[in-house]
Amino acid sequence: MKEYDAIVIGGGPAGMSAASVLGDHVKTLILDENDALGGQLVKQTHKFFGDHAHYASKRGFEIAKELTDEIYKKPVDISTASTVIGIYPQNTVAYVKDGREELVRYKKLLIATGAMERQLPFINSDLPGVYGAGAIQTLMNQYGIFPGKRFLIIGSGNIGLILAYQLAQTGAEVRMIVEALDKVGGYEVHANKVKRLGIPILLKHTIVKAMGDESVQGVVIAEVDDKFGVIPGTEKEIVVDTICVSVGLIPLTELAEQAKCKIEYIPELGGYVPVRDERMHTTNSDVFVAGDLSSIEEATTAIIEGKLAAMQIVKDLTKTDLGKEISDELKTLDIFRSGPKSFKIRKGLEKMGIKVPEIEVPKLFQTPIENAKSKLHAVIECTEEIPCNSCESSCKFDAIKVGENINTPPIFDPSKCTGCAVCVTACPGLAIFMEKLDESPNATIGIPYEFLPLPKFNEKMWGMDKEGNYVCDLTVKRVVKNPNKTNIVYVELPKEFVDDVRHVRYPKKESPFVCRCEEVTLDQIEKIIDSGITDFEEIKRMTRITMGPCGGKNCKMITLGIISRKTGIPISKLSHGTSRPPVKPTEFSAFLRGDEK
Amino acid sequence: MEGRILEHPILSFTRQKRVRIFFEGNEIEAYEGESVAAALHAAGIKVLRYTPINGRPAGFFCAVGKCSSCLMEIDGVPNVRSCMTKVRDGMQVRRQHGKGDLV
Amino acid sequence: MIDRASVVVVGGGIVGSAIAFNLLKMGMKNVCVIERSYVSSGSTGRCAGGIRQQWSSSMNVKLAMRSVKLFEQFEKEVGMNIEYYQGGYLLLAYTDSESDDFVKNVKMQKSQGLDVDILTKHEIKEKFPFINVEGVKLGSWCKSDGHANPQIANIAYAIAIRKMGGEFITHTTVTGIDVQNGQIVGVQTDNGYIHTNTVIDAAGFESPKIGEMVGITIPVYGERHQILVTEAVNHFLDPLVINFNHNYYVRQTRHGSLIMGQGDVNPAPGEDIGNTIEFLEEMSEKMVRDFPIIKNVHIVRQWSGAYDMSPDAQPIIDESKSVSRFIYATGFSGHGFMLAPAVGEAVAEMIIYGRTVTTDISNLKMDRFAIGIEREHNVV
Repeated sequence: MKEYDAIVIGGGPAGMSAASVLGDHVKTLILDENDALGGQLVKQTHKFFGDHAHYASKRGFEIAKELTDEIYKKPVDISTASTVIGIYPQNTVAYVKDGREELVRYKKLLIATGAMERQLPFINSDLPGVYGAGAIQTLMNQYGIFPGKRFLIIGSGNIGLILAYQLAQTGAEVRMIVEALDKVGGYEVHANKVKRLGIPILLKHTIVKAMGDESVQGVVIAEVDDKFGVIPGTEKEIVVDTICVSVGLIPLTELAEQAKCKIEYIPELGGYVPVRDERMHTTNSDVFVAGDLSSIEEATTAIIEGKLAAMQIVKDLTKTDLGKEISDELKTLDIFRSGPKSFKIRKGLEKMGIKVPEIEVPKLFQTPIENAKSKLHAVIECTEEIPCNSCESSCKFDAIKVGENINTPPIFDPSKCTGCAVCVTACPGLAIFMEKLDESPNATIGIPYEFLPLPKFNEKMWGMDKEGNYVCDLTVKRVVKNPNKTNIVYVELPKEFVDDVRHVRYPKKESPFVCRCEEVTLDQIEKIIDSGITDFEEIKRMTRITMGPCGGKNCKMITLGIISRKTGIPISKLSHGTSRPPVKPTEFSAFLRGDEK
Repeated sequence: MEGRILEHPILSFTRQKRVRIFFEGNEIEAYEGESVAAALHAAGIKVLRYTPINGRPAGFFCAVGKCSSCLMEIDGVPNVRSCMTKVRDGMQVRRQHGKGDLV
Repeated sequence: MIDRASVVVVGGGIVGSAIAFNLLKMGMKNVCVIERSYVSSGSTGRCAGGIRQQWSSSMNVKLAMRSVKLFEQFEKEVGMNIEYYQGGYLLLAYTDSESDDFVKNVKMQKSQGLDVDILTKHEIKEKFPFINVEGVKLGSWCKSDGHANPQIANIAYAIAIRKMGGEFITHTTVTGIDVQNGQIVGVQTDNGYIHTNTVIDAAGFESPKIGEMVGITIPVYGERHQILVTEAVNHFLDPLVINFNHNYYVRQTRHGSLIMGQGDVNPAPGEDIGNTIEFLEEMSEKMVRDFPIIKNVHIVRQWSGAYDMSPDAQPIIDESKSVSRFIYATGFSGHGFMLAPAVGEAVAEMIIYGRTVTTDISNLKMDRFAIGIEREHNVV
């Protein structure tokens, strides 16, 4: 029986980074069930948050490739397509490769088996077409197969949000994301990426049942109360052919259990997880864990945990002094977990006796941007405290500052910005835009664009707002292609809309709604203007636009923009109606004096 | 190539050799390196089996070999995870009805 | 802009538009309307849109009945759906003298051929169970009364006028009228000069200013009236309800919103068309009392408009004695919209045939003020 100093089970981010460290010091074997290393990273097409040392701004599959290349350079035995079936006495790992049992022995074992997707029981959840998020990513990003045409996504965590965006990149229609909680689970920037595509996130909603005989043909969703119970009468049917379940992950603890590691139920970490110390050592002195198995987190922390475990194994086996390296990794982990979004992880780890300090994020003050408005400059829309400083490290001119604590939202010094837009392509959250606002009635904005086809010079497109609503027509002025596939589309648009437009899209055949209250479409307005009626007030009377309960807060500007575009009269020269009280719809009862008289 | 992504803003797909696999006796387009479940999905086939107790249609859920929802009869062998089995030229794939026949 | 017209109509509100439309319909060419702002920017665009025939003078009843006939054909004739709805008018009486008036009026109205009835309090309760009838003595009910969207009607006319070859010029102000030897020569605007020998003053509460340009005095003044609109709710209210005693009217548009207003207790003359919070308070108090079901309906907008008041609250339609072919149609005192189709027809007839043919409007001439004024009672 072959014997190794260290065996790593699982070739995802944690296992790979561990094997890479181990290979430098001890005789190492890494086992993975798939044909290639990389784990779930191979199907991640989005750029990762983090810092320069931890693959920030790189896409998941690129990180997978780098890590894989690194391992293959090292004296590590790699066995893919190898399914571990059990851990046996005398430190024995049994796995199956090519249909045959293989046995190997270890001195130290690192289990990095990751997690699997939670299922959500609802009526007909077993119907073909109800898929886990990972399954959909496997189909579309690994095999290049369309997973479906119309989707409903359950769960607004980062995975659900990322998935919605990736589906849109294939041209699929994501009807909506439903979320049972009253707020979006994932990062704000990921949510914004999705919302500006026009994909609504319905909070306090759940799936009631899937519909269809042989496969999904629709879904019933409903609103939920505070106890997540369906509120009767709120059910709605939606036509979709695929339902994507992304309600979280469950650590795959079977092997750790078989290795006699103590398992505890800590919901904050994902459920049952192996008990371990801060250096990833389990209750079995020969067994370590890392990655999603130990706590459901990001790939970045999995990579650090893998390294940390590997260093500890090396230290235990060879007595090499890695004290400094280990404490550096521990520090890095603390920083990645110190932000408000890691609250649950901190709480979970504390239950295990691991204290993660909550590091206060310094409040940095934004330099006023006014003076720099007339030149092309960046606009950073990243306010949430997440561990990432990719913008800072991308800027060669020192115009963006995040500082030591990478959870700090960036601040921007417009006077140093040269308009190079490197930060736009670097930002994993696609939360940086370019803007130029000079004397002319038109402004220029640059928008990160990861869709096909790539717009061309002078093409007419639609400008969409943060919620994916139509704002105005605009013209493509320049398209900058980037090797990392985050291209920048520069468009010219009336300057009134410069703060609104955050996405561009090709005009749809069906007309967008300009006014939600009265359900007035762009097409209706354009037809009236084409018939010769160009006065805002007359258009208002004919369509009821701005006459609804909202008082035209949004649609008025959009309508003026349409008039301006079609008539060539600048918006500033158009009359824009009169604001009338009450500004908010007010019940008659509010004005009743009752007995007062 | 119906059902397959040809152009993608981030990824490029280089497909390997075309192979012939048969689903219920009919030829299905497939490429080396694809899983059976993926190739079938590309051909619009989502029902991979009918369940033993209730006879309900089932497809894959996790597509990475964890959930065992995608069991099929492949080359006469029942209960094969179609999401983890790569296509081979001449492969015969059948929907599994119930628990699978050994004889 | 054109520099020559056979007729220049000053004012592109509903009255001016209706006159121009009828002139074109009767075959006149080179008809020109001049509107100082956009179509329906004045009183028309601010009015509630009621269309009723229940008046206290017989000529008003006849004119209104003719108008209703024309409203019934409006969509076919003018070419646009103006949300016309014949849901009736219900007038509520609260005092004995009011009741006596109603009974007297209904008798007169019936004699003019109008299908109108007195409803008892019980009948009102039965027909409209959501109305709080406390204190109501009786009601006057005409089911062929109704309402429409005045803004759309105004725009419909403007579009039709342009289609028929007429000129409908907006955002243009008349600054002077040239008169030589009692004959009109042309109209000066801030966008150019138009040669013409006929001017129709349909400038609403601004009509005295136009009159001054040719040296005549028109006894019309602006009077602010406030109005509000709610969010849309499903249809429940067929009639436009007028309550003189509680001083309000209310109707539900086809869109579903409730439009309602009152006459201000002491209306300020002039063109102030601002809004007051007291209006919302007063309206809420009485509307919720009389229509409890609307208590939680949301008000979405309030605005005001100016009635073009005449001394007897009736229109003044006449040709100037001193300036030939200077015709004025003004002083509609809050019911210009409902009378416009019939007035448009009558004035067009005056111009083309030299006299009215379809409806007699001789009681609306200017000289009535010399004889003595009896004010129309049925006014909110």
